[in-house]
Amino acid sequence: MAHQAHAYHMVDPSPWPLTGAVAALLMTSGLAIWMHFHTMTLMTLGMILLLLTMYQWWRDIIREGTFQGHHTPPVQKGLRYGMILFITSEVFFFLGFFWAFYHSSLAPTPELGGCWPPTGITTLDPFEVPLLNTAVLLASGVTVTWAHHSIMEGLRKQAIQSLALTILLGFYFTFLQGMEYYEAPFTIADGVYGSTFFVATGFHGLHVIIGSTFLAVCLLRQVQYHFTSEHHFGFEAAAWYWHFVDVVWLFLYISIYWWGS
Amino acid sequence: MKAQKQLFRFMNYQNRRQHSGPVVITGLRPGVPPVSSPAIFVTSTKLGCEAGRQMEYLAAIRVPAMRRLIQVSDGVSVHLKKDLIDKLLYRTTMGLRVGGVVYCLVALYVAAQPSNK
Repeated sequence: MAHQAHAYHMVDPSPWPLTGAVAALLMTSGLAIWMHFHTMTLMTLGMILLLLTMYQWWRDIIREGTFQGHHTPPVQKGLRYGMILFITSEVFFFLGFFWAFYHSSLAPTPELGGCWPPTGITTLDPFEVPLLNTAVLLASGVTVTWAHHSIMEGLRKQAIQSLALTILLGFYFTFLQGMEYYEAPFTIADGVYGSTFFVATGFHGLHVIIGSTFLAVCLLRQVQYHFTSEHHFGFEAAAWYWHFVDVVWLFLYISIYWWGS
Repeated sequence: MKAQKQLFRFMNYQNRRQHSGPVVITGLRPGVPPVSSPAIFVTSTKLGCEAGRQMEYLAAIRVPAMRRLIQVSDGVSVHLKKDLIDKLLYRTTMGLRVGGVVYCLVALYVAAQPSNK
């Protein structure tokens, strides 16, 4: 029986921060070894360790919150602050790539032909697949809000269906973007246009995959009755992250696809 | 109005929870007794057998059993609470960690050696 005279969570000693740090070491060193010696073993080892760390660490958080009841209101407040700060850091991450894009596109150098898009670049039509992608992500924003209201109102079936639909829309976006990448008439090696396009949209795509995975975990938890109508912060965090991904896409679409074409 | 209510609810979540009693919905029309809003797990609150089957949609409710298992006060850390599978995963992860660090240090040492060209 836990005996504490406060509402905060004194966490059990955990090995996962150290394994996560070791995974980061292995992945970064492995990346350098891969580039110089053409062997992926160390990097792959780091990725496996990272996956194991993420699975066990978040499994433990679910145990502490849902099964042990440690996520009291003050603890939940801290988790909310944490998620908001993390998303803010991601915003700054993307700000850097938008800075790079605008740095190159607002004052195109003579090497590019003094124009944007640069001479020789055939841009993607913003009113074809990119517009469909925009509609898909906006629709997924609606379905995730529907899922949230369903959870709050205790409508289990609707919550599961709307959350599943959100995840499907996320996968559809990823599929469409993959097709666009395959069909694109330019590559990442095509000067600063290619670099800014694929790095910005590529990292966004990675975040869509991360967000879809987070929502999928929430779907599993919703099916397993982990969420109540009053307490479902894991889902709220996933929904916040998903809205962030959606907003970043809107900025990408307006800046790179539309203005930059 | 609803958006304002939700914003209020989000910002004042902690204050609301600090009340000792259950959450009371006020502002109902006259004559309707205020009732607390219980946490809702399933759509139906009926206790009959038919409602019991209807309540379990897609999966059985295992949260109470998991709570009993995870809340056992035996001094074991949360990452090892489910015994066998937890231990297996933990030992695999530790093995990969230690082996990985050794491999990494060796690889970096070898990579740091000057090439004889």
